[in-house]
Amino acid sequence: MPQIIIPPPYQGPTQGVGRLEVEGRSVRACLDAVESLHPGFLAQVIDSAGSVHRFVKLFRNADLLTGDGLDTALDAADELEIVAAIAGG
Amino acid sequence: MSGPTDDRIINVDMTTQTATVAPFPDKWKLLGGRALSAKILLDQCDPTCEPLGPDNVLVMAPGVLAGTTAPTSGRISIGGKSPLTNGIKEANTGGQPGQHLMKLGYRAIIVTGQPADANARFGLEVTADGISVVAADEQKGKWNYALCESLHEKYDKTASFITIGPAGEARLTGASVATTDQDNRYPARHAARGGLGAVMGSKGLKYVAVDPGKASARQPSDRKKFGELCKGYSKDYLAGPQMFKTGTSSVVPVANMLNTFPYKNRVEGQSPDAATLDGARIVESFEERGGGMHNCMTGCIVKCSNIVHDAEGNYKTSALEFETLTLLGANCAVASWEDVADMDRLCDELGLDTIETGAAIGILMDAGQMEWGDAEGMKALLREIPEGGDRGNAIGNGAVATGKFTGHHRVPHARGQAIPAWDPRPLKATGVTYCTSPMGADHTAGLIVNPGLQPDQFAWESQKAQLVNAVCDSSGFCQFLQPSLDNIRDFYGALYGQEIGRDEIADQGWQCLVDEWAFNDGAGFTADDDVLADCMAEDAIGGGQVFDVPKDIIQAAKQRMPSQEDLFTVKASG
Repeated sequence: MPQIIIPPPYQGPTQGVGRLEVEGRSVRACLDAVESLHPGFLAQVIDSAGSVHRFVKLFRNADLLTGDGLDTALDAADELEIVAAIAGG
Repeated sequence: MSGPTDDRIINVDMTTQTATVAPFPDKWKLLGGRALSAKILLDQCDPTCEPLGPDNVLVMAPGVLAGTTAPTSGRISIGGKSPLTNGIKEANTGGQPGQHLMKLGYRAIIVTGQPADANARFGLEVTADGISVVAADEQKGKWNYALCESLHEKYDKTASFITIGPAGEARLTGASVATTDQDNRYPARHAARGGLGAVMGSKGLKYVAVDPGKASARQPSDRKKFGELCKGYSKDYLAGPQMFKTGTSSVVPVANMLNTFPYKNRVEGQSPDAATLDGARIVESFEERGGGMHNCMTGCIVKCSNIVHDAEGNYKTSALEFETLTLLGANCAVASWEDVADMDRLCDELGLDTIETGAAIGILMDAGQMEWGDAEGMKALLREIPEGGDRGNAIGNGAVATGKFTGHHRVPHARGQAIPAWDPRPLKATGVTYCTSPMGADHTAGLIVNPGLQPDQFAWESQKAQLVNAVCDSSGFCQFLQPSLDNIRDFYGALYGQEIGRDEIADQGWQCLVDEWAFNDGAGFTADDDVLADCMAEDAIGGGQVFDVPKDIIQAAKQRMPSQEDLFTVKASG
């Protein structure tokens, strides 16, 4: 099953869990799976229009997904990393 | 140990207005920036001294790697006893002076004493030809931009400047120390927190001019390895997501989502104006107005600094940051980033910390003494500060002073310093940092943005962040480059041609904290002072969140825990 790597700022809904294995064959399906386990998670990644938030980047096996990336296929051994800029003075 | 040699310290006695040069102690070779400032202050400054009196010591110390070709490594620490917190303070900033001082081989400027004439103003000139204290009464009262313009006429175009504005001259405890940016023009970088601008003002020092002339970059002992490290780190960073390339102002929507975009003196954690305060609006303005992103110091690869133009395409301000958009924006219910840009410029001109000033004005508004969102009223208030006056002085002296002036009950601070945008109620581990850091409520001392942490993790996460950031702020690296302890020790090793082990670098970071806590102990602080203002425990935001971390967990952050692997691999973050 693909692994989803969740950055610390988004671990509120997951109660501090930063890595999850979920069922799904696409990025969208896997993110939905995380949401079903941890309600409130998805809104941190997807905006009200159904697109990835501007300030979020998605990486599949360390490769940046171009465009939206939500329909990208994920294999069982893949890692999907969610990266968000959180810091700032 | 080889590597850069013959480094020196500049000692400036402002009682006699004389400057001398002394050798830099070999035992301190791996100390710079914050750790060096802490060591000097513990050694030379009486922690019970009056912060604005002659016995306080003002330190200006570039990081260890400043002046080398390491990427984004030219930061400088300004240190002293804070008149805001009455404890030790280090404020870290970019711009050019750190690079220039180190190219000339100066590891620190230590300023002591005080002129007998409180109205006299002086400058310090640092060049390859020597050091001198010069009379500068003609610069008295100048706002920072006009001051730098005047200094550019006086000095060569290769010079950079460290300055104070009228707030520092008036010894207001929210006063900042400014540095000029990479173009050496604009005093848009600020060592803002803790009122060190007032300390500089109390010593009659209006500016420091540093002219490296044709001095070249500092040469490492192992040039090949150092070069490889520079190239490799830069390549990896630039190939990565570069999350700060549109500036910290772009963090606004995420922070708002996490209930850490405080609104109306922190009574709420989200602002209805997040969209119009979002840094994305600033980036959108570049197309029509010009401006853009740039680096504040030579060799910076992050380029998180914005140059903001007005609607006519003229320069307005630079480095309009997330914290400023929060405290002068959302916290005061100001909706427009353009109004915040105006106030950013005003604060930079006056030499005021935008966080402390925004927090103070938010208290004024919460006390009913100004309308929420009255941006024009805020600008008028800032402009009146140089004239003196009770209200202006209160604002210029920060949140606690404004709380006393208004008699208002809600004053969000820790140890006298206003709490930054990163709110301790959803970010409890960061709250532990605010309680225990020698710096007080300072997010750059150890920011942990992880709402999902469990209470038994707070102490370690805070300690880890504090230690890593202490080393980062000693190194010259910018926190936004996000180096780890392993990265930093690799660079130190190549600089000096020796292996720097994990234990050694971790010990250095811990010792910096220990030195600072020791200073604060001497200043009279106890564990009872490791608390936040009551309103952080009483006023809930975002679904009932309050700061409710028990005392034993807070104090655990000050007891050294065994190093774990992540201590060396976690990135600095502030």
